[in-house]
Amino acid sequence: MKFEIRNLKRILPILGIFFCALSALAADVQMSIEPQLISLLDRAVLKVEFINASGNALDIPQVDGLNIQYQGQSSETRIVNMKRTSKVVHTYLVTPSKVGDFTIGPVTAQYKGGQKELTAQLRVIKPSDDKKAQEISELMYSEISTDRHAPHVQEPFELTLKVFIRDGVQIDGNFAIRGGMPENGMDGDLAWNVIDQTREEVNGSIFKVYTLAATARTLTAGTFTFQPQVQMNVIIPRQERRSYGFDDPFFGDFFGRQETRPFVLDCNKLQVNVQPVPMAGRPDSFTGGVGIFDFDVSIGPNKVKAGEPITIKMRIAGNGNLTQITPPKIQENHAFKLYDARTVATDKPNEILFEQVLIPKSDSVTNVPPISFSYFNTKTTDFRTITRGPFPVTVEAAPQQAAQVIATVPSTIQQETKILGRDIVYLKPAPEHWKTAADRTWYEQPLFRVLLALPLLLLLLIAGGTARHNQLAGNVALARRQKAPKAARRHVQLAEQARRKKDEKAFYEALWNALAEYFGHRLNLAPGEVALPAVRTAFPKQQESIDHLFNTIEQRRYGFTAEAPLAPDEMKALLNELTSTLKKCERVRL
Amino acid sequence: MNKFLRIIIGLLLCLATAQAQDESFQKAQTAYDEGRYAEAVLLYESLIERGIDNPELHYNLANACFKDSDLPKAVSHYRTAWYDLPRDPDIKANLHFALNAAGAIESTPSFLEHLFYSLSRSEWIIVAVIGYILLTLLFILMLFMKRARRTLLRIGLIPAALLLLAGFGWNQWRQLSIHPEWVVVKTEATALFGPVEGSTAHFKLPLGALVQQRSTDSKGWVEVEYDGKQGWLKTDHISPVSP
Repeated sequence: MKFEIRNLKRILPILGIFFCALSALAADVQMSIEPQLISLLDRAVLKVEFINASGNALDIPQVDGLNIQYQGQSSETRIVNMKRTSKVVHTYLVTPSKVGDFTIGPVTAQYKGGQKELTAQLRVIKPSDDKKAQEISELMYSEISTDRHAPHVQEPFELTLKVFIRDGVQIDGNFAIRGGMPENGMDGDLAWNVIDQTREEVNGSIFKVYTLAATARTLTAGTFTFQPQVQMNVIIPRQERRSYGFDDPFFGDFFGRQETRPFVLDCNKLQVNVQPVPMAGRPDSFTGGVGIFDFDVSIGPNKVKAGEPITIKMRIAGNGNLTQITPPKIQENHAFKLYDARTVATDKPNEILFEQVLIPKSDSVTNVPPISFSYFNTKTTDFRTITRGPFPVTVEAAPQQAAQVIATVPSTIQQETKILGRDIVYLKPAPEHWKTAADRTWYEQPLFRVLLALPLLLLLLIAGGTARHNQLAGNVALARRQKAPKAARRHVQLAEQARRKKDEKAFYEALWNALAEYFGHRLNLAPGEVALPAVRTAFPKQQESIDHLFNTIEQRRYGFTAEAPLAPDEMKALLNELTSTLKKCERVRL
Repeated sequence: MNKFLRIIIGLLLCLATAQAQDESFQKAQTAYDEGRYAEAVLLYESLIERGIDNPELHYNLANACFKDSDLPKAVSHYRTAWYDLPRDPDIKANLHFALNAAGAIESTPSFLEHLFYSLSRSEWIIVAVIGYILLTLLFILMLFMKRARRTLLRIGLIPAALLLLAGFGWNQWRQLSIHPEWVVVKTEATALFGPVEGSTAHFKLPLGALVQQRSTDSKGWVEVEYDGKQGWLKTDHISPVSP
């Protein structure tokens, strides 16, 4: 029994430590929201924590009056008193749009140890400085309107967007319009500008009202829906104040007592029914104008000589699609030459100017014909034509030389007056060679491209060769250096022949010549200057074999040695030594 | 031996094919002469389907199409033939005749355009190659004849000018690849101000009119230029002409 109690005393602490460690590793998942009580303009942070387990972000169900956005995940590991705890935290940002008590969830979380139903409670109260507001839309909202509910295609119409901010709500003054515009049929993007800022009373509350305006124009007829989403930043004081040891408001703001939060405002839906420009009754002189316009024409000079230009200035002013209007047409006539009209820059936003040059060919021209401008009047919903002219001009006969130039008939008129044959020209006979599409585009074949490169390559080769030749001609040392191996090779071959013939004298003579020619060319030495000291200095690493070769060959050549003639194998060895030494010297850079 | 036999068989096949093409061409000519224009169109088209691409074939097909009252196709094939033989008076006359018959306005080329369209794209490339080879030869001569370098440099201006001119000419034809030509194939084709159904009508185009593409839209619209005006047409109203 004593033994059992003694053993139990030993086992119990170990078991205690084991169970403590086990409890530290127990997996769990928790959901929390901070703070649980916020005002309408504030936000809360929802956290889902997987403790000692890993888990994916949960799909939090939508809650009416709350906007829940996933922010990301973080993980942390702590070791306290030898206990290790790890956490994976998924964070969500909760933005209320109305006051009330909200329950987030239940949502089921799966984790290592099983699954758990999670819920969180949030209370949203009215802002402290506005006890009436129940929803964000009562604090801030926007309204869109237009000056014309049934404009015509291409007719510009004004869109006005009013942004209402209840007095007391601070914003940073920046507006962004995101989406809510028709996707098709609009002529370009809308450019919104803040045109006014006032204070207005709405339902007994004071609002700051920002008025934004934009000009819209459609390319097609139909119903266009506008419901812009205005995003703006509201400046909100932080709920949890940090303490930095300074109680000064400057430091408070500097260290983050205020923050800006983006809000997207509610807006009404505006539908605009765009009417088509009718095809019926469209005059020939219609050049695309839709709106209400005036048309003026002036010409100058009124008195010219034949062949001198008269400038016709056309001005279209008013409200409408000015940039879409093409120049009014001037009726062409054989009596004058007409150049294309061009647009002239103007400072005034509600007008467009065209200039066209007309050259009378002879003194028979007495006036510039009338010019008509037709447009679709959006007020009376019919086509209107404004005609100006004719404009009397005095044209004097030109001097003979100038008249000859003017007598050239413009090609366009030539085409009109050319008398055509009564029928087309007859068929062509069968071609001599039948061609395929590939034959026609022979210049796209790879072979052609390769051949095209050949002359250039030839030029490069010849240029390279010529440059090399010129270089060698101007540099004797280099030229001799190039000759050295070839000269040595010739004498080595002679030595080999002499060895085979067992002509010892010729053999040593050839060996000597090989040495003398090679080193003479290589070191640019005169024939008499090729001597052992000069060669030894130039090739220090080959001194030993060079000494041996020079001494042996000279002694054998002049018979200074009393030794017996070399055996054929020894002669071959000497020849090989010479060849290998010269090869080694060839690799040396001087 | 086998190789030799293969060459002989290949040559015979080529001859037989060429003869068959000649026969089809002659049959089409006969059909045209006898007033069976639709048949002539089919025969000429069968040759084109076989890969034949001679300008004479396009010209004859265009004639048959014209006689068969298919103006858009006639204009299209006259223009295709003109790309290869831009100086051919018959092609120019018949194209002009067909466009007049269609009531279409022909664009008037400027002096430079007229100059650069006087040679076909292949001919400009040949001019460029000649200029290039001459220039290379002159440079090679300059390497050997140092004393005559100045004279050779002056002579070199001629091939250099040829090369430059050919470059401009080639570029002129390249514009047809960038801004291809189309022919109007539907009656009552109306160019609109914008690339959207229901957009305002801008101008009307006669059947068979030649228009040049300015830009395209991903939804099947082509911005075309005709008689100095630009407007948008659906691709089902036009058919491509440019190679």
